[in-house]
Amino acid sequence: MDFNLSNEQRHWQMKAREFAEKEIRPISLERDAIPTARETWDWEIIKKGSKLGFRTLAVPKEWGGHGTDFVTQALVMAELAKADSAISKAFSQNWKWSHLISQVCTDEQKQRFLPAFVADDTFVLGKGITEPSAGSDNRLPPDDIRAGLKLKAERHGDEWILNGEKAFIANAPVGKLFFIDARTDSTVPLKQGTTMFLVPRDTPGFRIGKVFNKSGWRFYQNGEMIFENARVPHANIVGEVGGAVKKTGGRGGDTTGGDIFGDLELCANALGICDDACETAMRYAKTAKQGGQPLFAQQNVQLQINKMFMLTEALRSFVMRVAWEHDMKIHSCNAGLAMNYSSDVVQEVTELYMEIRGARGCYMDPHTDKLVRDSIIWSHLAGDSVQRMKVARRLAAAAAA
Amino acid sequence: MYNLHLSAEQLEIRDTVRDFVTREVKPAALKAERLDVGDRGLLMEQIDAASQLGLRSLALSEQRGGAGADALTSCIVTEELAAGDADSAAVLTETSRLAHLLFDRAMSDAQRERFLPKFLADDRYQLAFASREPGSDTRLGVNYHRPAANEPALQSVAVKASNGDWIVNGVKDCVANAPIAALFAVLVAVPGRGESALLVPANTPGVTVKDHEKAWQHGACGEVGFKDCRVPADNLLGDDAVAILTGADTPGRGVPLAQALNLGIGRAAYEAALDYAHLRVQGGRPLIEHQTIANKLAEIAVRLEVARASVWQAAWASDHPEAIADRSLPDLPLTTIAQVFTSEMMLKAAKDAAEVFGAMGVMRDMPLQKYVHDARVCLHWDDGNSDAKLRIAEALAGYRRAPEAMALAGE
Repeated sequence: MDFNLSNEQRHWQMKAREFAEKEIRPISLERDAIPTARETWDWEIIKKGSKLGFRTLAVPKEWGGHGTDFVTQALVMAELAKADSAISKAFSQNWKWSHLISQVCTDEQKQRFLPAFVADDTFVLGKGITEPSAGSDNRLPPDDIRAGLKLKAERHGDEWILNGEKAFIANAPVGKLFFIDARTDSTVPLKQGTTMFLVPRDTPGFRIGKVFNKSGWRFYQNGEMIFENARVPHANIVGEVGGAVKKTGGRGGDTTGGDIFGDLELCANALGICDDACETAMRYAKTAKQGGQPLFAQQNVQLQINKMFMLTEALRSFVMRVAWEHDMKIHSCNAGLAMNYSSDVVQEVTELYMEIRGARGCYMDPHTDKLVRDSIIWSHLAGDSVQRMKVARRLAAAAAA
Repeated sequence: MYNLHLSAEQLEIRDTVRDFVTREVKPAALKAERLDVGDRGLLMEQIDAASQLGLRSLALSEQRGGAGADALTSCIVTEELAAGDADSAAVLTETSRLAHLLFDRAMSDAQRERFLPKFLADDRYQLAFASREPGSDTRLGVNYHRPAANEPALQSVAVKASNGDWIVNGVKDCVANAPIAALFAVLVAVPGRGESALLVPANTPGVTVKDHEKAWQHGACGEVGFKDCRVPADNLLGDDAVAILTGADTPGRGVPLAQALNLGIGRAAYEAALDYAHLRVQGGRPLIEHQTIANKLAEIAVRLEVARASVWQAAWASDHPEAIADRSLPDLPLTTIAQVFTSEMMLKAAKDAAEVFGAMGVMRDMPLQKYVHDARVCLHWDDGNSDAKLRIAEALAGYRRAPEAMALAGE
């Protein structure tokens, strides 16, 4: 057992903390309050963070990135999220897909996309899976061949023609390169008939539709993708035809693309929100007065604070253990469990914070309100029934083996 | 005798309001542009139509031109309205409640003669009670089970002019209905008399109303300023008006209207989730055929039914105070009890309902995020649930406060 961080890990953590406090926190509430979904994004903060390495943190060193380990990535995500969860996610979404590129793309594909990604501070990545009629079906695919994503790709010589649409796609409105899951064989179930394509933003026949107006994670852009005879070269197939689901999922997460990072990402980000809530709640409880005494003088407030810190520290232990296990290449279901757990914790912690604040008549503190709204996002990403059953099924498969 | 039957009138009015809400309120309330919690205007057309149905004057006695609805009936109507639109429900409920308190109980005959005809004649004549003051600390909190160290003194003051008129100065905030009210009852300090309630028409020179943006409250809400406002001597309400208006005469046992509104929010979320669970097919079956969704919907239904039972019990107790005297009901602050349970359960219900919708559950042009927000408002508005629990505990402990302290504590 060794809980010490290496100098490099500590360095990234401190760098992230400084950037978060000096650059992210000052714009957080202001970006959150912008009513139009399309306008909450701020390229300046992305560029500033990119220059410090927060966009390309997970790209291997040989490809010009920083090649950080998972522990570092978890530390950085939590630090950035402590100042703004959505901005942290806007950076780490790139790590998720840079993992995928470096793990599953061919050298030729890496050569075509990675240097361009590394060089351009405004180069953002995304991945399109969900469709209006296929959300849970993609995550827990039934054997029924009609279930799951419908975006169709048909081969015409050296090109594939894509038709259909994606919905709720993170970074869609701002991304330059996307991984797109498409159905290449509709006569077999999703698992066998889905292929992943690299689709650059300027692909003919591909455009972005509406930007979804979320109640939480306001900064983070989420949009529709529309494919109308979009033409993608055969050379842009990731892995093999029919291999999309195999590449990103895998039992217990045996690749570093997709699930294994994504699960860690959500729980590390939640940890940042919890840290913010704990720190602010403590400061508030010690300074705000009621009946002439600091709130902290009250037994009930002490219990609320105790619970917030207890849950947050438990989450930290879980997050860092999962990150360490990833670095040690110990692959278990813990990442999924930590993600599910983070959903419960982030909501309970922010709700306790809101309780300590109270509305005091009819005024709710905007920072508190934001943390609670951001935490609700976990219900639909990390802690819903499907995500929990998925992990349970992985556990069952591991138990049988 | 234990009887949970609603009367024929209660059933009829519930059906009428439900039908009105389905036909006229919901279509307007569910328009995408009105679902953004940061920016939603009042549905004035629907509120006017509701007034024409008699819902603005629901609790006002029949002899004075209202429907004479008792507490239980008022709660049933508020839930129905809130299931369509929490804001319209809040506006109408506040006016109806105050119409009863003011015209039936607090006003003198002379005052009623001056104000009641205007109230009855105008669908937009809304009422507001301006009591809370900016920065005032009305929480029980640290003063649980002990006398408050410093009683907060009212800053708003009414003094007598040489001709007998009252001159009012002060500021009130978080005043429900303030931006649309035609008549305010204002809690003021009167030198030599103490806490008093004064009638101030909204068009009195010197009255200013500032809309609270993003207020943590339903309906319209605002700050009201009074600067050298002059009202006639006869506008001072009688000695018992303060206790009537603040609810200090029935601490913890007022009509659970806010809780009925909260129920309506939970029900709207539940109905939306139930409908969607029938329509949406994933995993080869409609969502409702999946155990996990079925379990969620069942839990929501349990919370709604048990919360409604607590609200109705509190409402019925408010209509039948003798039921506490004869030991049919426990001598407890039943409305505060309903508040704590209902607000916690409805937030859980709304969150679960939103989860059924997946990503659509957090989109601002969809209703579920609004229901979650609205339910959260019920949990934290005013002094919140932590404080409500302390008030229940004081009752359990048999701790009695002086009536004035209770009034100030916002009972």
